[in-house]
Amino acid sequence: MGMISVATGRSLQAFLLLIAMSLIGFIGIHSVGNPVFNIVNIETATPEDIRRATVALGLDQPIWRQYLVFLDNVVSGNFGTSYIYHLPAFELVIAKLPATLELASVAMLIAAPLGTGLGLLAGRRRGTLLDRTILRASVSALSIPSFWLAMMLILVGAILTGWFPSGGRGSTASFLGQDWSFLTANGLWHLVLPAAALAIPNIALIARLSRSGTIEVENLDHTRFCRAKGLSPRRILLRHTLPNISVPIVTIIGLQFGGMLAFAVVVESIFSWPGVGKLLIDSIQLLDRPVVMATLTLIAVAFVALNALVDLFHAVLDPRVRLSSQR
Amino acid sequence: MKSRILSVLKKRPHGPVMTVSKLLLATYILLAVAAPMIAPQNPYDPLQIYGWEASSPPGTSGSGGHLYLLGTDGLGRDIASTILYGLRISLVVSIISSAAAALIGLTAGVSAAWFGKWVDVAIMRLVDLQLSLPTILIALIAIVTLGPGVDRIILALIIAQWATYARIARSVALSEANKPYMDAARLMRLPTSRIIFRHLLPNSIAPAVTLIPIEVGHAVALEATLSFLGLGVPIDKPSLGSAVANGFQYLLTGQYWISLFPGLALFGLIASINFVGEDVRRSLDPRSKSL
Repeated sequence: MGMISVATGRSLQAFLLLIAMSLIGFIGIHSVGNPVFNIVNIETATPEDIRRATVALGLDQPIWRQYLVFLDNVVSGNFGTSYIYHLPAFELVIAKLPATLELASVAMLIAAPLGTGLGLLAGRRRGTLLDRTILRASVSALSIPSFWLAMMLILVGAILTGWFPSGGRGSTASFLGQDWSFLTANGLWHLVLPAAALAIPNIALIARLSRSGTIEVENLDHTRFCRAKGLSPRRILLRHTLPNISVPIVTIIGLQFGGMLAFAVVVESIFSWPGVGKLLIDSIQLLDRPVVMATLTLIAVAFVALNALVDLFHAVLDPRVRLSSQR
Repeated sequence: MKSRILSVLKKRPHGPVMTVSKLLLATYILLAVAAPMIAPQNPYDPLQIYGWEASSPPGTSGSGGHLYLLGTDGLGRDIASTILYGLRISLVVSIISSAAAALIGLTAGVSAAWFGKWVDVAIMRLVDLQLSLPTILIALIAIVTLGPGVDRIILALIIAQWATYARIARSVALSEANKPYMDAARLMRLPTSRIIFRHLLPNSIAPAVTLIPIEVGHAVALEATLSFLGLGVPIDKPSLGSAVANGFQYLLTGQYWISLFPGLALFGLIASINFVGEDVRRSLDPRSKSL
């Protein structure tokens, strides 16, 4: 019962958030300028031309009806046709999505275990050289601009040593009707550098979080009890501390996965990874407005959905969340 | 407040990393202020740039009579000078935007706490909406809507950052609003604006102010990222981010210095701001000391 009420409450919240976002987006588009002037030539158009274009675009309708039409289009995935590719914008974005998801998933599969492990290690040996090194390294890693990190990875990993390719997706294999790089050796090779570029800041973030969690949990009574019982430090760490710090870690993994979708914009355009992020930057530079709108909307919706999922997962992991929502 | 920050900076015992970060940050600020005097070349002046010396490696001596200590970029601009001038733009943009974001966020947060009811709901819903999305996404959406230019990028950074301040200021102002001195101000029938700006705001300001250094660091990184993507400052007046971006196409042909050195400068700047900012926040906010 508790789960269902949490799920409904959270979905409703996510829905309201999306409505609010669409409203702000709608107002934003309208405040930028009259779209009629994208269609007619300002210098040569007669008032009659402008009036006809206004009617054709539906701009003579009351504002609330325009908003409903906009909403209807967004819900049905109709963002218009790309000015450049002459294909429906939404389909273009969806076609690029697997590449981005693949990159972000691989990066997270690297970052989550490595970050948690480093954090546990640092928290366990608080104040030692190892702990201080990990802490400093994580602050430094979070200070590296993501694009420069990506470029230096190319410089070291591709140009100076020639170990890895500097960009592109490599050969792909088909699975579930989509092309995936991780199924071929060459594709995996192409994944290494961009995935590392996305993973490094996240390793640092997760390590910091799991370090402070470990320190907190190690001071609690149940850990002392385990120690008194004579359990080995490793068993305490893995069977008692780790489950107790898992909630904030899962939360940050979920949030950062959404963040990766946004940060993929930078990494993808550097590694010419043909994903959503590269499409977004290319479209901004080509003034391909429908594709820009579709991409930004998709990233925002994905992020809100991920947030909601994380909260639900939170309720599964932590009984206290379920109980508090029933009151 | 100011003297407290200063005394904290002076007295606090700290390790070598802190000393290095503070020295580094001070050097950066000095270099940025003194840039026109110490830069060997004015990278914005086409008359001082020799096109045939484009992409010279570090250590080449140029026709202008000076040494290209860090080499030149693809247009023949001295990298060291570009870094010095770019530093100014990066710092000015991020300090102005952080200060403005703090001011707007504080006012919004305090107003939300003071007026309550629908004002509170409207402001805080917007804040929640923003904080639930990644900052880079907000900045991207803002800059795409606003268009390019230095003033636009400042505006985009303000839009991306005000919400953090608003949330903190509101929670502090809520607890301040019930204290006796606020009752006194209300009983004296002071005008609302005077109560807000002269009494409530100054007393709610501290926790948000401790955030500013960290947010300046974020702003530097955000501006650099936007400029790198070609959405930030114009290309003829590069910030550190766009200086790195200029070097990207040359990186693949092995001319590493064009992007390596501006990037190192940027990394050092962000890292030193982050270390110092963390330290300031930690010493002013006792709750976060355990971290």
